[in-house]
Amino acid sequence: MRYLPLIWSAVMRKPARTILTLLSVTVAFTLFGLMIGLNATFDEIAARARADRIFTNARFGGNGMPIAVAHQIAAIPGVKVVTAVSGIAGYVQDPKNQVFVAMVDSNLPKVFGDWGISQDLWDVVQKDRTGIVMSESQATRWHKKIGDTFTMVSKQMKRADGSSAWTFKVLAIGPDFQQNSNGYIFGNYDYIDKARPLADQGKIGEADLLANDPATSTELAARIDHAFANSATPLVTITEKLARAGNDFGGLDIKKITRGIALAGMFMVLFLTGNGIAESVRERFAEFATLKTIGFSSRAVTMLVVLEAALPCILGAALGVGIAAFLAGKIPALMPPGFGIPLPTMSPMVMLWAAISAFTVALLSAALPILRLTQMDIASALSGRT
Amino acid sequence: MNIIRQIGIVSLINFRSIKLRLWRSLVIVVGMACVIGVLLSMLSLTEGMLTAYKNTGDPGRALVVSAGAQNEGNSAIARDKARIIMDAPGIAKAPDGSPMADPGINSGVPVVRLNGRPAYDNLRGFGPKGIMLRPEFHLVSGRMFRFGTRELIVGASAKTQFQGMNVGDKVILPDGEWPIVGSFTTGDLLDGQLIGDTETVMKAIRRPAYNSVLVRLSSLNAFDAFKGALTTNPALAVDPIRQSDWYKKISEGFSTFFNVVAYGIAVIMGVGALFGCLNTMYAAVAARGREIATLRAIGYGAFPVAVSVVLEAAALSVAGALIGAAIAWALYDGKMGSFNVSVFKLTVSPALIGMGVLWAVAVAVLGGVLPAIRAARRPVVEALRAT
Repeated sequence: MRYLPLIWSAVMRKPARTILTLLSVTVAFTLFGLMIGLNATFDEIAARARADRIFTNARFGGNGMPIAVAHQIAAIPGVKVVTAVSGIAGYVQDPKNQVFVAMVDSNLPKVFGDWGISQDLWDVVQKDRTGIVMSESQATRWHKKIGDTFTMVSKQMKRADGSSAWTFKVLAIGPDFQQNSNGYIFGNYDYIDKARPLADQGKIGEADLLANDPATSTELAARIDHAFANSATPLVTITEKLARAGNDFGGLDIKKITRGIALAGMFMVLFLTGNGIAESVRERFAEFATLKTIGFSSRAVTMLVVLEAALPCILGAALGVGIAAFLAGKIPALMPPGFGIPLPTMSPMVMLWAAISAFTVALLSAALPILRLTQMDIASALSGRT
Repeated sequence: MNIIRQIGIVSLINFRSIKLRLWRSLVIVVGMACVIGVLLSMLSLTEGMLTAYKNTGDPGRALVVSAGAQNEGNSAIARDKARIIMDAPGIAKAPDGSPMADPGINSGVPVVRLNGRPAYDNLRGFGPKGIMLRPEFHLVSGRMFRFGTRELIVGASAKTQFQGMNVGDKVILPDGEWPIVGSFTTGDLLDGQLIGDTETVMKAIRRPAYNSVLVRLSSLNAFDAFKGALTTNPALAVDPIRQSDWYKKISEGFSTFFNVVAYGIAVIMGVGALFGCLNTMYAAVAARGREIATLRAIGYGAFPVAVSVVLEAAALSVAGALIGAAIAWALYDGKMGSFNVSVFKLTVSPALIGMGVLWAVAVAVLGGVLPAIRAARRPVVEALRAT
């Protein structure tokens, strides 16, 4: 603590340099926070994915799986409960406003209870065949409240009378959940099934299920695929764990990319801070010699330099992560509606990594100047002959 | 002495002394190298994807989808409607007099990426005119699929992204597996896809309707006549669109998104580099205070001194940008990449590198102007006295 005035005077010796360095470090850590924060979000989504939940789709054709397949899957040993899902993809008013309504049977809360769909809530929706539940974000997007009517047009999903307009009644609004940043709309499978032309009835798009044993769910998924491989409806089955693994965005390895960008930012400031501290020490070489002469140990001088280097790094890291947290909150307003990029979260892990990076940058930038100081010849330094 | 010559001389003195200020100067170089390296690495994806989309769309061909369809998968064209479309005016004729038109089918097909992650690829159907419509199509190995047979051919680039995409591999389709009997190249998006006989594929995946009809226009100007005939026909509800415009339209969404992300990140990093540049140039001006004062004393103007400071910043910054561009180029140019179903070649084009250099100049001007003004304004006598 008693070194504080010394460090302060060193830091404020050239205020412009200190402030510019601090700003640069702050900006680099803003980027760091956004990138590693995005990573943290993907990690959390992956961690929250249930190991015992499995998604099964028809390999071909959006809504071409006979509902009998769902019943057959339910009979496969190891399967606890299956829910049949059919989807209506379409738009509201203008083809630009894409929307998707998942039409699900009565087992929905048994399979997706942790997604904010409780049994009570689903009971409410099931009272009316045309009922739907919207997540808060979807309700906001379409300006709907409970009791409103919601109409969409689907070119792919025609009704028995040939029309393509589907009308629903909003009966409930449910909480959003992080795994699905697009939000959700769930309706009754029964409604879509009875409303479609006879030839299309009894067809679903997806069967989602829970396994009895999470440890063998990967093997169960493979077993389901195998059972239907040579049938009229081959399936593609995937565990939620694999579906949500955090390193894949359309084939791009998000983790690798975000880490690379954060690292480039750190490398950029490393040069800046390293150069700044080296200059600062060079300018004050004689002063350090004086400190040593009046009895400061090498360790104390080393500490002085490290702290001088660390000050802008730590402060910049704190400010930068703070700004990143602020910016992350603003991102949803900048995104086109319905765009499913999750938000960066400033988890304790992100802050820990920011702190570690800040100290690393500080130590690396202080290393060379410290080496010079420990090897200095006090007499020649005092006489200004270095 | 004219101003240009003064600028030249002062700048030369600066550049010759850069090695005395090596580390400090490297701050700008490394900063810009990081900014431009990251920016161009990210843009190589958009650039590569856009190029692939652009190559796929031939302005001499037109695509017909159902009205309002945003992609081929969302479009459905019944068989009887397809026949009406193929009889429309403006379509080029094959040597036998039949229209150069091919109704097609598109379907997602589940595949596994090389890294084991599940994904989808695109399965496309070619009819009898499929190849005639696409002079860019060449078989690379194996043979063409036989019409009416449950066989597929695969684009030459698919195997760079997905497992099981070699000649001899098998693809699961309803009612059994289909062998891949050949490999082809078109030099565009199709290089990442699977192709089979339209009718046989439709039968297998139980699709009663085509997704789209592709036609060769009888001339580039024939599009309006073709479009007019289709849109005024009350029996049809379709959108005819030039194939080049179609691919432009569907590439707009993702390219905007990726550009926003790439430039957003580059702007943040650029601001960081800008502070570094300011820092370095202020220090450089301070270090050369006496030298600048001497120049001023012997008659050099304030303006050439200021310009030389900005020029020094620009030179360092551009050097950094070129290093960054070289790194991005070495890492990514020509490498195969993919996003969702699209397989393409990542590209760091000369245009992108040029844009990186412009960025560097912009940062240097922003970061050099204030130090330059300080250098030019400092009273000569005071600067000469300063130690």
